[in-house]
Amino acid sequence: MSSYSKEVIADLVAGTLPWPQTRRIMSAYKDDDRFFKYVAVLQDRVGWQDRILLPVSDHLFICESAEGRVTKCECGHSFGDYRKNWKLAASIVVRDSEEALREIYPNSDLPDPEWMEIREFICPECGTLHEVEAAAPGYPIVHDFEPDLEGFYRDWLGQPLG
Amino acid sequence: MLDKPASALRIRERLLESERLMEETGCYDGITELKLRNQDPLKFETLHTKLRAYCVSAREMARRISASPGVREVGEMVVAIYTPEGDAIALSNGIMVHVHTMSRFIKWMIREGYEENPGIRDGDIFANNDAFIGTVQVPDVMDVVPIFHSGKLVGWAGAVCHELEAGGITPGGDVALAQERFTEGLFVCAEKVGVDDELRRDYVIRCERNLRMPIYWVLDEKAKVASCIDMRESVKALIDEIGLDSWMQISKEFIEEGRRAQLARTRQLTVPGIYRGHTFYGHVTAGKPGYQPLGDPDWLYNMPIEMEITTDGKIVMDFEGTQPWGYHSMNCTPAGMDGGMFVTLTQHMNFEGLVNDGAWMATELKLPAGTWTNPDNEMVATATSWALLLPAYGVFQRLLSRSFIARGFVEEAFVGQVNSPMIEMGGTSQYGTPFGMAHFECAAAGSGALAIKDGLDTAYVGWNPESDMGNIEIWEQNMPMLYIGRSIVPNSGGAGKYRGGCSFLSTWLISKTDHLRLVTSEHSSRVFDNGGLCGGYPAPTCQKHRAVRDSNIFELAGKGEPLPHHTGTNPHRSELEIRLEGEQVTVEGPYITAPHKTGDVFTHSYNGGGGYGDVLERDPVKTAWDVENGFLTPEAAEGVFGIVLDEDAEGFPVANLEATKRHRAEMRAARLARAKPVSDWIASERERVRAADFAPEVKKMYASAIRLSPRFTRDFSDFWGVDGKAAFGVE
Ligand SMILES: [Zn+2]
Repeated sequence: MSSYSKEVIADLVAGTLPWPQTRRIMSAYKDDDRFFKYVAVLQDRVGWQDRILLPVSDHLFICESAEGRVTKCECGHSFGDYRKNWKLAASIVVRDSEEALREIYPNSDLPDPEWMEIREFICPECGTLHEVEAAAPGYPIVHDFEPDLEGFYRDWLGQPLG
Repeated sequence: MLDKPASALRIRERLLESERLMEETGCYDGITELKLRNQDPLKFETLHTKLRAYCVSAREMARRISASPGVREVGEMVVAIYTPEGDAIALSNGIMVHVHTMSRFIKWMIREGYEENPGIRDGDIFANNDAFIGTVQVPDVMDVVPIFHSGKLVGWAGAVCHELEAGGITPGGDVALAQERFTEGLFVCAEKVGVDDELRRDYVIRCERNLRMPIYWVLDEKAKVASCIDMRESVKALIDEIGLDSWMQISKEFIEEGRRAQLARTRQLTVPGIYRGHTFYGHVTAGKPGYQPLGDPDWLYNMPIEMEITTDGKIVMDFEGTQPWGYHSMNCTPAGMDGGMFVTLTQHMNFEGLVNDGAWMATELKLPAGTWTNPDNEMVATATSWALLLPAYGVFQRLLSRSFIARGFVEEAFVGQVNSPMIEMGGTSQYGTPFGMAHFECAAAGSGALAIKDGLDTAYVGWNPESDMGNIEIWEQNMPMLYIGRSIVPNSGGAGKYRGGCSFLSTWLISKTDHLRLVTSEHSSRVFDNGGLCGGYPAPTCQKHRAVRDSNIFELAGKGEPLPHHTGTNPHRSELEIRLEGEQVTVEGPYITAPHKTGDVFTHSYNGGGGYGDVLERDPVKTAWDVENGFLTPEAAEGVFGIVLDEDAEGFPVANLEATKRHRAEMRAARLARAKPVSDWIASERERVRAADFAPEVKKMYASAIRLSPRFTRDFSDFWGVDGKAAFGVE
């Protein structure tokens, strides 16, 4: 089975691995040791020490912290208990007018803001845009992902969480 | 009347036994041990590869028989080999969505007692395009032939082509105006259409007399029958070589192995848990001619999806909370929903090609009765079910992608497929003859972004992983329109660290006809239906149609003056308006209108894919290249992505990295200054929700979801702290 160095995984995650090499990785059998190498790469990237247990978005991680398992931004900001929807602890920009939508879609026909709005969920500390929802006005905010963290580590990784 | 099934049981009893064994053992047909695989794994793999080769070569051969540019050029075809019970063992490339819908068709005939009447004999040909029996929509016409060996039924060979003309109320295949089954076109309902390897003359006559362009359908039928016979003879020769008992055992082991492989693949690539997402579809027909007042002319559908990945690797998709079926062409049958699942899985998880119905058996779909996903009325139309299927399975792709990102397989994460409007046409051709055609250049829209790079430009649709727009010259041979432009639509991919793939726009001059009906479908304009992921924005919504009737284009051409080749980048004033005189037409939603004629100009724009990641992280150098090549406009580069571009000595854009850094810092600060805590926003929205202060279509959407789904009602009410039933007047 395939296996790649941590440097190759780091470049892959950063989007800087040359395309022919990326292409070969996509076509090959998957490397079974990917997860922990990936987490190690991310752990090097973040500026904090709490152990990353699971990445859940481009810059959001579930990690083991002094306040328990929390969802954390890459900047270190904590969104609280990982079982809760991190979006509820985020900041939001809502684009629900033609003017606000036009900023993102300068040259296209626009949806009807009466039917649809864009919600940008932002880290209140560093301003990273973590997730965008396109929803009808009044639609409840989605809880994107509730991982079975214990089951994953126990049954799939064979390394139960303490 | 089958002489002897391979098993001592009649085929219907055999099907029931197979289902019972699956129920009891959890393994396909009770195959708890892969005996032949364990005996000789190499031979096992070789045989499966052989079967796949039979399928691939049969499809390629058939494409050369077809007269349809959809099949010849774009490859709108798939073939597969099945067990006697109708489970797919091996399949070709192409429109793989139909592998499982054909399986449903075969099982339907078995359950309905076809063994007794009309009989299942060597040389018979059965056809179907009824979605409630097993297909997606009327133009997806499938043919299957039984495979007999030593007088016993040992399997089926099947083939599907997407027909470019189905004889419905509007021309083409995706019949936009169908509001009930009775206007969708020519139905062939699990019918025996041929015997002794030949299509019946009366069936061909029925096709010839009920279609606008029968040459496509009839030659596709011949192509499909040829491919089925080719596969059948190959399988028979293989059985001669390996023996009948071995075939019966190994064909089932292939499927059981496929099931196990899918479960293992899920455990390898994903993370268990619950994933959620949603998308929307808006339909606008008020005031358009031809629509019967059977339901609301304008409506909004929500499509919430909850995906559970269990620790044993099973994927369960639940559509609870979505909308009821309606009097429109966009309903879908469970067969179509299965098909969507199958084609998505084959692209994202079963990429080594040894896929079959086993993969489908490792998944489960929960389709609430009475919704568009599972109508409790078989009279509903499903002519354009892709309109809802595509955005729904785009959500599935994003949910799967989040699991790949969590697990570290970032190279597999893909923001997903796009809903891209189709154009259908009919009337009098440039040769003066009646014609009808679906234009399949839509099979090359922009894909969603990946988690490591931009999406594919003009090169992807979810329903055919071998996407292709076809050659302009070939399309021009088949319709009375000439291309005066086919160009990239700038900014048509959703913005993000990695942008969605861009789509294209075609501009045509109508030529040599006085009667060209142009119709479009799958056209959601009021909402975004192609979402983004991890901070990426959705792709722009469906663009409006822009046309000019009675234009002065011939006069301009005569004088050698510039012509419009696209609509330009000003949404308020198109290039058509700037360059042409005549009656300027702008239409939102499905294009249903009076016929066009020579001298008119028509444009049609396809959709791009959603973006990935925060726009402020986009690579400035790549962005300069995008601007230079027309994928992004300079104003988007600066206004959306915060990238300041200078010009080099030759006038080409180059990124100013220092100025970009400063500009982005300002944009980030402005973002934070504009944002408010989500809790404040919820508190301020609550009153609006309590008062149901929404557009009528939005209100109706909530009322319908609340009426159909206790879970939606509970989630909605809990989230807002408002009694959802009371707010929307639901009893
Ligand atoms: Zn942050």
